[in-house]
Amino acid sequence: MDEQFRILHPIKYYRDHINNHIRPDGRELNKFRPVLVNIGSINTSDGSALAKVGDTTVICGIKAELCSPKVESPDQGFLIPNVELPPLCSSKFKPGPPSEEAQVVTQLLADIVKNSKCFDLKQLCICHEKLVWCLFADLICISYDGSLMDACVIALMGALKSVQLPLVDYDPAIDNKLVNEEQKNFVNIQGIPICTTFSMFDKNILYDPTQEEENLSSCTFNVVLMEDKLCSVHKPGGTPISEQNLMECIEVSKQRTNTICELIDIALKKNKT
Amino acid sequence: MSRKKELISNIGLRLDGRRAGELRRIRCKLGVFSEPDGSAYIEQGLTKVLAAVYGPHQVRGGRSKAQHDSAIVNCQFSMAVFSTGERKRRPRGDRKSTEMSIHLHQALVAAIKVELYPWTQIDVYVEVLHADGGIYPACVNAATLALIDAGIPLKEYVCACTASLANDDIPMIDISHQEEVMGGPTLTVAALPMSKKVVLLEMSQRFHVDHLPKVLKTALQGCVDIKNILDVTVSNNVKEIGSSTRWGNMT
Repeated sequence: MDEQFRILHPIKYYRDHINNHIRPDGRELNKFRPVLVNIGSINTSDGSALAKVGDTTVICGIKAELCSPKVESPDQGFLIPNVELPPLCSSKFKPGPPSEEAQVVTQLLADIVKNSKCFDLKQLCICHEKLVWCLFADLICISYDGSLMDACVIALMGALKSVQLPLVDYDPAIDNKLVNEEQKNFVNIQGIPICTTFSMFDKNILYDPTQEEENLSSCTFNVVLMEDKLCSVHKPGGTPISEQNLMECIEVSKQRTNTICELIDIALKKNKT
Repeated sequence: MSRKKELISNIGLRLDGRRAGELRRIRCKLGVFSEPDGSAYIEQGLTKVLAAVYGPHQVRGGRSKAQHDSAIVNCQFSMAVFSTGERKRRPRGDRKSTEMSIHLHQALVAAIKVELYPWTQIDVYVEVLHADGGIYPACVNAATLALIDAGIPLKEYVCACTASLANDDIPMIDISHQEEVMGGPTLTVAALPMSKKVVLLEMSQRFHVDHLPKVLKTALQGCVDIKNILDVTVSNNVKEIGSSTRWGNMT
């Protein structure tokens, strides 16, 4: 009976659950799903990570290429995130050009990296005005079940932390590049921004919503924190929320940020050994 | 020619330490995700492939595509841009990916009992996460497992394997990327190993026609071996699911 009720009257189904302070997947309203991080699973890339938030799985591979910098920023390299939502991950997505959602997530991710200043693009410079590194961070969602941003940010930061760039000897006079594969250095990362997604269902706030919950809720928003600093709050419309609720969410994200940072560090150590 | 390194050393070992007739380690898992109707993950050596199956469902897009006597099988091959040594420009849509999608479709249609689902569509999505030679065989094997996981009736397993000819004489099985690059012809075979039928045969580069029977035989043997490995995984998976509903212990 349960399954039929869920399909025919999803909103009523959820409301009944939530009025009893429990969600259909057995979580309480203020509980997160387990997070899993694995770093360095793909050795064809220069840095890679797999992040799992509940059933949402994102894999990120970073490839480094040499290129020339932009004229207006001659001493900065590039970090280009690209999120892909293939039809494999959910029946929601159709084959074809990148969906609107994929583009939104890509842009959001680029903004987070830029605004949080967690990654200094100047370290990618090899020779002023001539040669810089370009890091292509490709994220593929292989299973989609809500809170996509959370998984994307964890995967991206995990992969970025494992990137090793070879030393390059560059002679601008004769345009000669010599890549020293033996000597590789990790890139510098100032901090790890962590994203936390919330959903609003009636008057209740659901932490770390699943896809079904995101679809039924009246608004979904995410909070990005780096250590104790707020990097971004993204709330694209929906029902308004009170300031008090928002502050509460930020406070919760703060605690979660620390645990996830630790998780990434542990995964990184495991990869190194 | 003298510059070309030997693919098999004089003690009979290949570059990665395998013997000529040895497959790379295969690890596979059914039902890795909950969202698709069927999903599977396979690792053949370092080649890692994910497959997901949706359907049979109503035909999407133009209804005119629907067929009154069979299901449409829609395959899409995609390769992560970071899966290869050089970064790929596009994960799909280039000629090689399109060709792969078509080949995959051809192999799968031979095994799926499409006539059971008129007016419907079955989507098979394959994603290569790590490419290290033998991409096509890994995709076919992953897709087969995903179809089984989705519960779509198959005539039998469809398996694929590659074979090559080393030192102009010895047939070798399951070619790695390193061996592909070093040269030597690659014969890709997709087969129905139980009825010993060949579904798809593709060869790159040339060798003498006299060698074909033995290379083909090696590849077909590979398909049978792979089928046996997949079979174990499938029966273990069924047992696992079965035991949760308490009928696994009935035998």
